[in-house]
Amino acid sequence: MIELKGFSAWFGTAAVLRDISLRILPQEIFGVIGPAGSGKTTLLRSLNRLNDLAPSFRRSGSVTVLGVDISGEAVNFPELRRTAGMVFAVPVPLPGTIRDNLRLGPRFSGRDRNMEPLVEECLKAAFLWDEVKDRLDQSALTLSGGQQQRLCLARTLMLEPDILLLDEPCSGLDPISTARIEDALEELKSRLAIVLVTNNIMQASRVADRTAFFLHGRLVECALTETLFVNPKEKTTHDYISGRFG
Amino acid sequence: MIKVMGAFFTTMTGVACLLIVLMVAIILGNILVHGLPRLSWEFVSAEPRTGMTEGGIFPAIFGTVALVILMTLAGVPVGVATAIYLHEYAPQDSKLVNWVRLALQNLAGVPAIVFGLFGLGFFVHFMGGGIDKLVFGGELSFGQPCILWASLTLAVLTLPTVVVATEESLRAVPKAYREAAYALGATRWQAIRRVVLPQSVGGILTGTILAISRGAGEVAPIMFTGAAYYLPYLPHKLNDQFMELGYHIYVLTTQSPDVEATKPILYSTVLVLLLVTFALNVAAVLIRSRIRRRLRGS
Repeated sequence: MIELKGFSAWFGTAAVLRDISLRILPQEIFGVIGPAGSGKTTLLRSLNRLNDLAPSFRRSGSVTVLGVDISGEAVNFPELRRTAGMVFAVPVPLPGTIRDNLRLGPRFSGRDRNMEPLVEECLKAAFLWDEVKDRLDQSALTLSGGQQQRLCLARTLMLEPDILLLDEPCSGLDPISTARIEDALEELKSRLAIVLVTNNIMQASRVADRTAFFLHGRLVECALTETLFVNPKEKTTHDYISGRFG
Repeated sequence: MIKVMGAFFTTMTGVACLLIVLMVAIILGNILVHGLPRLSWEFVSAEPRTGMTEGGIFPAIFGTVALVILMTLAGVPVGVATAIYLHEYAPQDSKLVNWVRLALQNLAGVPAIVFGLFGLGFFVHFMGGGIDKLVFGGELSFGQPCILWASLTLAVLTLPTVVVATEESLRAVPKAYREAAYALGATRWQAIRRVVLPQSVGGILTGTILAISRGAGEVAPIMFTGAAYYLPYLPHKLNDQFMELGYHIYVLTTQSPDVEATKPILYSTVLVLLLVTFALNVAAVLIRSRIRRRLRGS
């Protein structure tokens, strides 16, 4: 699905990621954990080239998504971002109705005809349908924080992506909303690959199939979640997951 | 001692505020007291008669509104486009951007009368004369002062206002919104069109309102470029001259054969100018709030 080889990234002169090599497989939830500043978000945003919006961003090494090298300049950005859909840490409902929000992605690609079945499917997949089915034409800003984040998930699913990039999607949510999103992810992984960056170690242990631990921009360890949590190879991994720092 | 100082500054700042309110009250009061008696339906709907001592000022009202609308149509799109380029497309440290900004700052500091002369030289003589030579075979049609050149001159005058206000409102759109748009597969233009502009339309319209307020009250830029002392007809082509309230006030004050006789009309004209400017502003504010409500998604 995704393969990084010797990938490094800088903002200005500060190295944020150093020499990362890893593979993400289809139909798995790939957890990424690590303390603040370890490069998790930069890693995630390298997969849909969102880092390139910052003028000072530089990178080296290669990233392949679905067999296509996306590290060059000749990348079709809109296409890449539809293939690898992203949900941000803070829900960003855009102005307009719930339906407007959902249709935005298909609208950008010019394929927004007969959207109703897909709208329903994506809202159901995000576990939001029952709460909003009667108010699709209300402003998205009337939703609660947890609902907004599930709307953002549904909005990303409207792109029919092959990969889902989640940047701490539950960081501001209550346990019930978090559980709903985790349930949604469990069902979604049967049809796409999910990269889940999280500050919540327990969340990684609950839902991730494999987990990678990052520290100071380096990939310390990457293993099956169970192995990583029960039997970490590196001492720093052990210290982090047992709460000794970070 | 501290108490005394506190009381002193409270009083002084209060007095400063009061002074402003007082001045506005005096100006408005004076105009209202002297202007209201002559204000009638005939005054706003009829033409001037008998050396402008009788009749109304309808041609000037019509000319002012037409001028402001043309100015807005010409200036706001250019200003908004400039701001979008400066803020969204141009690399932020490029020389070009710095030059454009410098030009805008200078434009904002140019006295209005200089714009009038610029309009006469550039629009009337160069553009208009050129059009006449190329299109009309030397026959005089656009190479003279007219409402088109006057409104374009005003549009240039109000350009910095529109650009600055628009850029300010583009800057106020959170980065997260742009990123969300890009993450949904938007091209740069789609992100601007669907997400950034709807967010900043309020600020853009505020800039437009400021431009209208400024443009509607300027006399100097239109003196040489299109405003007429007296016209028996309303402008109905782009190369017609026109009467304008501000210019009409200037004419009544300084150019009339009998200044004393025009005094009551003068006051009423000033009152009407204020009302028209106010009405144009209110219209723009109403449009803005309507657009905002629609964008918020009822």
